[in-house]
Amino acid sequence: MDRGGVSIRWESYGRGDPPVLFLPTWSIVHSRCWKHQIPDFARRHRVLTFDPRGNGGSGRPWDPAAYSEDQFAADALAVMDAAAVEQAVLVGLSLGAQRALILAGEHRNRVRGLVLIGPLLELDERPGAEREAATRFTNDVGLDEGWDRYNAHSWRRDYRGFVEFFFSQVFTEPHSTKQIEDCVGWGLETNAETLITAEVPGIGAARTVDLCARVRCPVLVVHGDEDAIVPHPIGMRAAELTRGRIVTFAGSGHCVQARDPVRFNLVLREFIVALPFTTERGGRW
Amino acid sequence: MRTREQSRARYPDGGGYIERDGVRIAWERYGSGDRAILLMPTWEIVHSRMWKCQIPFLAGNFTVLTFDPRGNGRSDRPDTVSAYDRNQRTHDAIDVLNAAGVPRVTVVSWCGGGDDLALAVHHPDRVEAMVLIAPDLVVTETPNEERYEHMEDWRAFAQAFFADNFPEPHSTKQIEDAVGWAMETDAVVIQRGLDAAWDNEEPEVRELLRGVGCPVLVVQGSEDLIAGTARGSAVAAAIRNSALLEFEGSGHGPHLRDAVRFNLVLRDFIGTSEPRATRWTRARSRRKRALYVSSPIGLGHVRRDVAIADKLRELHPDLEVEWLAQHPVTTVLEARGERIHPASVQLVSESAHMQAESNEHELHCFQALRRMDEILVSNFMVFLDVVQAEQYDLWIGDEAWDVDYYLHENPELKTAAYVWLTDFVGYLPMADGGKHEEFLTADYNAEMIEHIARYPRVRDRAIFVGDPDDIVPGRFGPGLPAIRDWTEQHFNFVGYITGFDPDDSADRAALRDELGYASDEKVCLVTVGGSGVGTRLLQRVIESFEPAKQLVPDLRMIVIAGPRIDPAALSAPEGVEIRSYQHNLYRHLAACDLAIVQGGLATAMELTANQRPFIYFPLKHHFEQCIHVHHRLRRHKAGRRMDYDDASPETLAAAIDQEIGRTVDYRAVDPGGAARAASVIAELL
Repeated sequence: MDRGGVSIRWESYGRGDPPVLFLPTWSIVHSRCWKHQIPDFARRHRVLTFDPRGNGGSGRPWDPAAYSEDQFAADALAVMDAAAVEQAVLVGLSLGAQRALILAGEHRNRVRGLVLIGPLLELDERPGAEREAATRFTNDVGLDEGWDRYNAHSWRRDYRGFVEFFFSQVFTEPHSTKQIEDCVGWGLETNAETLITAEVPGIGAARTVDLCARVRCPVLVVHGDEDAIVPHPIGMRAAELTRGRIVTFAGSGHCVQARDPVRFNLVLREFIVALPFTTERGGRW
Repeated sequence: MRTREQSRARYPDGGGYIERDGVRIAWERYGSGDRAILLMPTWEIVHSRMWKCQIPFLAGNFTVLTFDPRGNGRSDRPDTVSAYDRNQRTHDAIDVLNAAGVPRVTVVSWCGGGDDLALAVHHPDRVEAMVLIAPDLVVTETPNEERYEHMEDWRAFAQAFFADNFPEPHSTKQIEDAVGWAMETDAVVIQRGLDAAWDNEEPEVRELLRGVGCPVLVVQGSEDLIAGTARGSAVAAAIRNSALLEFEGSGHGPHLRDAVRFNLVLRDFIGTSEPRATRWTRARSRRKRALYVSSPIGLGHVRRDVAIADKLRELHPDLEVEWLAQHPVTTVLEARGERIHPASVQLVSESAHMQAESNEHELHCFQALRRMDEILVSNFMVFLDVVQAEQYDLWIGDEAWDVDYYLHENPELKTAAYVWLTDFVGYLPMADGGKHEEFLTADYNAEMIEHIARYPRVRDRAIFVGDPDDIVPGRFGPGLPAIRDWTEQHFNFVGYITGFDPDDSADRAALRDELGYASDEKVCLVTVGGSGVGTRLLQRVIESFEPAKQLVPDLRMIVIAGPRIDPAALSAPEGVEIRSYQHNLYRHLAACDLAIVQGGLATAMELTANQRPFIYFPLKHHFEQCIHVHHRLRRHKAGRRMDYDDASPETLAAAIDQEIGRTVDYRAVDPGGAARAASVIAELL
């Protein structure tokens, strides 16, 4: 699919209502980050995914404006249109929560339910170390250690080192080698210059709060209480502002859908089935 | 004729009567949730008690409305045929909603004949969704219709009809309940209903089905002899927005016969407002946790359960034990600072039910357990809420009848290791119960034996609190195994567990001194333990005080009412001391010269372990006390059994004189029971 000269690669799996759209997150990874969800949900639902601008099969535009959150939200709508999906359950991870919120707040009739995982939202709560580091993104402190790696100069010097460090912080649970390795691999499908171009301001605190208030569909926040990227209180606040529910994964880090896929899938499945009076309830006991 | 209604698991929070054209309809409201559910009446052969297993569960989250049909329950039995027309029923439902101030409901009906559909079709703004259980809608043929035409012998008719309603084996209680409700009306009333206008021809029914716009769940049993097995799918196919849920192996009334699963299905369909915040802990991050469910009938279980828990914590110091418990068990747990799960307050009192079932010095314990069915369902749903919301490594149920029975009926709900403890095996008939009681007890035993044979994986360990010799002789019933053989095959034996260290009271003189009992007085303790059933026995023993004092001049009588009996209900002459709850009662029992007790196992075995003389009075018709406990005490050569009916103040005084201060030589109770039980359980952690 082409949108304003940027190609967006999207995929559709399975069939069944309601459709579920798994949104892209930060372009450091692509739609393979939903690999544990796709086959499970495609057995009952139409599942849509697309690669973010800047990674996977989608284009890598050189204009920072092409990476605004509104662009990602518009990509999602365009994918839904292309797939002839009127309304879907949206699932957004981390940075993807911002684009999900734009859709749920400004295109209510397209969203049946909203699920946010470790949502990276600008709220009053104290941000994580990653966001703090991001405020010094263009200042070269000359260090390639810890969160000082979250820096354009450091990325240019040692992109792989950053990616490895970053995902060690995403997956703080012991024994996460495979999850880290996967993500590092996807991270290396793009490069420092692309991510530097994509490093644009988010939707801002005022708009975030306003969008939360506009949401009308059922909302579920899923958040690890040991999330080292987005502190857990942010998820709590997001649930409160959207009048949604929160399921806390105690002992979990940032990406529960990758590290605890079975429980996450059950939680998501339950959320979808519990959307009022779904008559997919048949069966045998 | 109406027998006393059994204890409800929940009583209405509101209700009253609506009246139209001089006919009064009784309705009830339970709970006060934002969303409402109307549990419709069905054919007036039964009334609103048919929802007894749903009401307590649903009322926690929803406003639940019920009403009795014209012709049964507390509603009128009008004498004109037209008063029973279908449109009257639909109209009654709307009037009930209006009286309750409820704008919109989910309607649940059993064997509904279109009165339910008419609500959805003609009042779509009032009906949010519907659940139709085995609908009585003639879109398929109704089997066996001609079998239900002869109503001359009303009881025989009801018996045959409900036997067909519940063809699942071991459905005696469901059939008995329904027949009881049928006996609250009669064949004349029923005939008026049958003659009334119900427009039940297929074209009318199909038109109604086409008119239903709300979401509908149809529940259909695959062994339904009343509506036929094809009914559910045909009805679901005729409704636009519908789903079919089949209960395989079920008859016509799964909401009564498989109440746990039906409740879960209903809640899932309606969708509860889940708690705003829930928590799931990663497997690796969890502490080891056990949930202990201790039988609340008396205090005998909790004493041994805390002893087991203590030993278990010695073996697994990182283990956290939580208790799902109710009064009077909580009195002991709170005193020890144990962790009581907050959902415990939602449990319905089994002790209060037992008390309600008792009569003077009598408790028909087997029937009382049967008549506790809706309390057991309700309490199991609480247990399920707890174990589905939180993760435990282990569930321990000490005579937790609800947990054990419904896990075997719903084995897919087992998500942790599970240990069952009991001190008796086998429901036994009382001699005067006749053939019917023999049949019923054998049927219950057979169901238990089938449960264990079919689902051996449910009980990871089954612990018999005692030795093989403590098991009564005889069979579970005709054609069933010998109780001892079967129990030996299926249980671990850990010996009796008194819950105390006998060394504590080894120096009796010092103990008496500490407790304020002089060496020159003869102390007679009278107690019924934690039971609420015992006021009459206590009073009768009190009446023997004066003649006994003549025979034993240095007699000191102390009556302990216990946590469930008000001491003010006892009248005692000068010289008799009345105490309410006695902390560490077992130490007083160890110090006394004679105890007079009920036939409960725990107290009798404490006295046995301490080698004290005692007189025990089994509750009449209490098979456990009369047969199982009696057998065990005879094995230990302990105690003197007396019958409440024969005990006059004089005979009791004579017995006190003979027994008090006597040196006894009982078979010893091995003190290692708690440690052995704990080591069996610890293997699972």
